Amino acid sequence: MIRAEGVTKVFGPNPESVKPLLEQGKSKDEIQAETGHVVGVNNASFEVGAGEVFCIMGLSGSGKSTLIRCINRLIEPTFGKIILDDPEHGELDIATMDGPTLRRVRSQHLSMVFQHFALFPHKTVLSNVVYGLEVQGRDKAEREELGKKYLEMVGLGGWENHYPDELSGGMQQRVGLARAVATEANILLMDEPFSALDPLIKVQMQDELMRIQQELGRTILFITHDLDEAMRIGDHIAIMDAGKIVQVGNPEEILVNPKTEYVAKFVEHADPTGVITAETVALPFTDRYFNQIREEGGNQVWTRTGYTDVEFHVDTNGHLAAMRCEGNDVALHELEEKVTETGGAPERHTDAAVHCTTDTILKRVLRGRAYSELPVVVQDTEGRLKGVIDEPELIHGILEKQGYAQDD
Amino acid sequence: MNDLIPMLGGSLGNPFELIDMPIDDWVTWFVDWLVDTFRDFFRTWVSPPVKTVMEGVQWLLTSTPPLAVLAGLFVLAWRAASWKVGVFAVVAFAFIGFMGVWDELMTTLSLVITSVLFCLVIGVPIGILCSRRDMTYTLVRPILDIMQTTPPFVYLVPAVMLFSIGNVPGLIATIIFAMPPTIRLTNLGIRQVPGQYTEAATAFGSTPRQILWKVQVPLAMPTIMAGLNQTIMLALSMVVIAAIIGAGGLGLLVFQGLNRLDIGQAFVGGLGIVLLAMVLDRITQGLGEKAPGSRASSDD
Repeated sequence: MIRAEGVTKVFGPNPESVKPLLEQGKSKDEIQAETGHVVGVNNASFEVGAGEVFCIMGLSGSGKSTLIRCINRLIEPTFGKIILDDPEHGELDIATMDGPTLRRVRSQHLSMVFQHFALFPHKTVLSNVVYGLEVQGRDKAEREELGKKYLEMVGLGGWENHYPDELSGGMQQRVGLARAVATEANILLMDEPFSALDPLIKVQMQDELMRIQQELGRTILFITHDLDEAMRIGDHIAIMDAGKIVQVGNPEEILVNPKTEYVAKFVEHADPTGVITAETVALPFTDRYFNQIREEGGNQVWTRTGYTDVEFHVDTNGHLAAMRCEGNDVALHELEEKVTETGGAPERHTDAAVHCTTDTILKRVLRGRAYSELPVVVQDTEGRLKGVIDEPELIHGILEKQGYAQDD
Repeated sequence: MNDLIPMLGGSLGNPFELIDMPIDDWVTWFVDWLVDTFRDFFRTWVSPPVKTVMEGVQWLLTSTPPLAVLAGLFVLAWRAASWKVGVFAVVAFAFIGFMGVWDELMTTLSLVITSVLFCLVIGVPIGILCSRRDMTYTLVRPILDIMQTTPPFVYLVPAVMLFSIGNVPGLIATIIFAMPPTIRLTNLGIRQVPGQYTEAATAFGSTPRQILWKVQVPLAMPTIMAGLNQTIMLALSMVVIAAIIGAGGLGLLVFQGLNRLDIGQAFVGGLGIVLLAMVLDRITQGLGEKAPGSRASSDD
């Protein structure tokens, strides 16, 4: 949908002159010391697929706001291409297009939400929301109809005729969001949209954004300095440091497998339970960790090395046929079914266990532990036994953000 | 040797005797040339529009019955500022009327309205141009300094030579003198619009023209209104001076009063000007406070 190729922004009197230094791989600090030029963004490349939420994460000064402004050329990139996949005109390079084309692209394909809202203080809420439509040249009746529809969507129906200064911060950013989606642009650039809000409102707005995103399915480029926020809403995350993208991946990849010191430091304090999946933490079902003790009724009977009281009966297809604890049959339940059960203090069963799929997040597995003392069984989508998660795996997963298997 | 010292001392001590720059002659020559060359141009192209507008406004104000003018004034002041300002304006105008100088008030008011109208029509676009490019403002600024600091008496004479006596040269002098605040504050107001608003407008694909008219000018409105207020005050301060070259109204009362040592008449004219100034000041201040752009200041 949108793709950045080697986008670079150099601030200073003669930006082109630092190209050789950049190609030599000199760092931002070196270039600044040598030439006085500031490298805002250094050779950033990434691709955002249609309908995807792509987060760019970094601390202040890492160049993330500069990068997002290069995408719609609020800041002119010094080098690089920004390829937009326009359904009507094919692939367009935003970096080199002329003024009128750029304005058309901004008005029809790219819209933006700002950190400090940037609502026009002299316009009412409704005229703020329809600003982009006004620029597109739609007629008044159509504008207002769409404007009201999107105000309704962000939960501000009835506030049309108020002015922005009469609204709280959270409400102002809802207007900002409505203004951005109202143009029906398929790409949404969001520059730290929730950073200026207090923590509770922030989480509320993230939920709101995800709800709206489910409804509209836009392509979102989301800038943030908050890793938990990126993990919550991002399908993919790019981490920036000193103008460079140091790692791109989905939240779990970043958390489990940080590529640099910098990323590792970042993820150190992140809450892994919402990101890491059962597959990562589970002790894999291989003969390295399990022993086959006998065969019984056509099934292989396995126990985990060191834990002989629980038996796993596996049929020829690799499915778990039965599970036994100290000789008694164990009832197997769907994790989803058990964690959604409500009422009463939980009674931890020793005669029942839960099973989940490989992509279940750690948080839900933990809830499953409250139901049963026996290991959680992890299966793939075909129902084959992939591994088990017991207390040690959970603890290790939360503390080390990885499974035992990855330690070796 | 001894008799050289006083000689040298004379020219060394006072170098101004060595060089004589006849600026006065040059200016006389330049003004003569200007008047000879452009008198027809100014009388055919500059004078008529100013004169027509002035006469139109004056006709409107004098042919309307005073009570209707008072009613209109009240509504205007009430809408622009508040009902209190409306009451004050009506009382002030009525007071001037009861002093027996209503016609002079209307003449002065039409002089002010006409000159301010031209100040806005010329000054706001120049102010906008200045805000677009630093270079333009660098060029315009010294001209504004000259317009504001040259004593008006200096250009009254060439104005008379170009336009002959009457209301027109008075108006032209007033327009020149009163325009700088409009230009300066329009420029300032637009430059002071926070970057985040123009950035947002740009991000949504606005053309520079759309950014100017939909965002910058509305947000600059309170400052532009402050400029308008200053322009009106300066225009009123020129009313007496313009009377010297034949402009009528309250200024003429003051001027004649001074000439004839009729302190009473001069005072009546002066009091009228002060009251008119207060009314116009309150109304335009109200306009600035009510401009939608004034909400920007309460934003964080």
